[in-house]
Amino acid sequence: MLEIKNLHASVEGQEILKGLNLTVKPGEVHAIMGPNGSGKSTLSQVLAGNEAYDVTSGSITYQGKDLLDMATEERAREGVFLAFQYPVEIPGVSNLQFMKTAINNIRRHRGMDEINAAEFMKQAKAKIEQVNLDPAFLKRGVNEGFSGGEKKRNEIMQMLMLEPTLAILDETDSGLDIDALKVVADGVNALRAPDRSVVMITHYQRLLDYIVPDYVHVLSRGQIIKSGGKELALELEAKGYAWLGIEEEASA
Amino acid sequence: MSTLDTIDFGIEASLQQPAGLKTFSAAKHAKLASWAIPNRKTEAWKYSANRLGLKAESREDIAANSAEAATQIPASNQPAYELDCHTLLICNGTIQSDLPEVEHLKVLRFEELTSEQCQQVANGVTASSDQLMFADLNAAYLQSGLFIELAANQSLSKPLKIIFQQQGKQNSFPRVFIHVGKNAAMTLIEERSTESGLDANELAAANNCALVNSVCDIHLAANSQMNYLKMNLDRDACKHIASTGVALMRDARFQSYCLSLGNQLNRHDLVVKLLEPGAECNLNGMCVTTGRQHVDSHTSIEHVAPHCTSNENYRCIADDKSHIVFNGRIHIHPNAQKTLGSMSNKNLLLSSEAEIDAKPELEIYADDVKCAHGTTIGQLDETELYYLQTRGIKLEQAKLMLTLGFVLELVRACPVNEIADFWEQTLTNILGYKA
Repeated sequence: MLEIKNLHASVEGQEILKGLNLTVKPGEVHAIMGPNGSGKSTLSQVLAGNEAYDVTSGSITYQGKDLLDMATEERAREGVFLAFQYPVEIPGVSNLQFMKTAINNIRRHRGMDEINAAEFMKQAKAKIEQVNLDPAFLKRGVNEGFSGGEKKRNEIMQMLMLEPTLAILDETDSGLDIDALKVVADGVNALRAPDRSVVMITHYQRLLDYIVPDYVHVLSRGQIIKSGGKELALELEAKGYAWLGIEEEASA
Repeated sequence: MSTLDTIDFGIEASLQQPAGLKTFSAAKHAKLASWAIPNRKTEAWKYSANRLGLKAESREDIAANSAEAATQIPASNQPAYELDCHTLLICNGTIQSDLPEVEHLKVLRFEELTSEQCQQVANGVTASSDQLMFADLNAAYLQSGLFIELAANQSLSKPLKIIFQQQGKQNSFPRVFIHVGKNAAMTLIEERSTESGLDANELAAANNCALVNSVCDIHLAANSQMNYLKMNLDRDACKHIASTGVALMRDARFQSYCLSLGNQLNRHDLVVKLLEPGAECNLNGMCVTTGRQHVDSHTSIEHVAPHCTSNENYRCIADDKSHIVFNGRIHIHPNAQKTLGSMSNKNLLLSSEAEIDAKPELEIYADDVKCAHGTTIGQLDETELYYLQTRGIKLEQAKLMLTLGFVLELVRACPVNEIADFWEQTLTNILGYKA
């Protein structure tokens, strides 16, 4: 599914990722944990194709193709989805219009017809209810005036609509109360399938009580320094990052 | 120098004029001799004068056409959108035969007015302005018009829609005066449509279409409220000049949403006078042009009294070889202390051949006021584009979505949902957006 080899990436001339390796097989759920500033968000932005980040060396292979060679929208059409840590507000573009355009782009890419309007509305209503948001949000501008939790749930709603092959969740659990966290977890669990993979970037072990990962990785100073099963997260929670010799950095 | 009184508009001014307004009209007619036909040196018409196509005695063809004055109201006037409202139709300057009967709402023809009511019409904001030459022109050729009065303490449950409809090539100069009583509230929709009967080639000759020069004077009594929605349904088929004058008394509130689609010429002069403390106006405008269309919005907010608030938000998008003019004036009089004023004008140019001329004009004569203004030529936001791309939307389409969103942000705030939906659909079609 996804193979990252010796990835080096920098933003504004500063190297953040310093030789990261990660292999994700179909059907697997991976959790990436690490303190602020360890490179978690850089990894997710590089995977999604943010041009502000420069990949200086290394490779990313996705379903046998060179991911770094693909444009941002092409990655999305090939099934890569990033749930943003800070979802973007787009006043004036409604959620419905946004999702319909996205779905039709992806469908066209797969050689399918455009989605039928009634079918689309049915799906949109079902998915927005699934993430416990008022259907009235569908008509509102994308994330416009949404609370933090509502924005995160809207990301999950988009994920459910687009049915990605590789979902990357960038701190989707941060800032959520327990009910919202359950909604997010239920959304991810509903998506789990033998041909789909999930990479969850998180700061808190709490999320992993609800989405049980196959692997847990610890990211520090741009490299994965320890990998293990779900018990690694528990151990980390109990002992803290200092246990691995990591000093928590003051700022992200 | 050629002046406005030397132009033949194909309309006889003197024949059927309402008796009570004859003096008013005659005075305005006399004034026409002092108005030069606008040219590029006329400040208020700098960018739009060439669109008028007015020359001394140039309208004989129109005059000949007016003999067959289309006074008949078409039986099937299919609205472009569904809305439960009261409707008044003025076709080629002629008022429909049956006026609707609405409780607490007085709807009178100018012929039926008392001398006191005539005086109200003659004292309207546009009537008493010395800046609005086309409002003067309208008064000079006054034929009939509507006087509307909403009784005090009443709230009109349905919007009142006034349609200025144009058929054929005849010029028309319709006029409406509206008084909203103390504590009363209403929504007014001003809609323009054209059935020119001309084909595309005829329309292409800019001088071949009719000129509709309308006036709407609004008087808002203390603590009253009006939502004013203005739109044109036609594109390319007409030259519209509209003057809207609004007087606000103590604590009155006026909120406008004006959708200006391109036409041969689409000019709107909106003058708002905040005459007593506590009055507030919110002016919103959306101008979208394509092809060789032209839209010109001139707004003028007069802060006459202290403690008044004004907000203005205009968004313009010009594509192809089209042209948009925005002139936003805020005038804070010496007495108008504690004024809060803000004006925002954002513009998007979609083509290198399109033109937008934006001019904020602030005249402040009081020293204790807050008045902010900003005009930008919009750049699409990189982060927003990236977010759309991460969902599989290609860059070009993402740009189009954001472009549309640029105006829809205002459209969605329109207080009548049916109209907001209709406008959204209209703009989506115009900007060629495809989901």
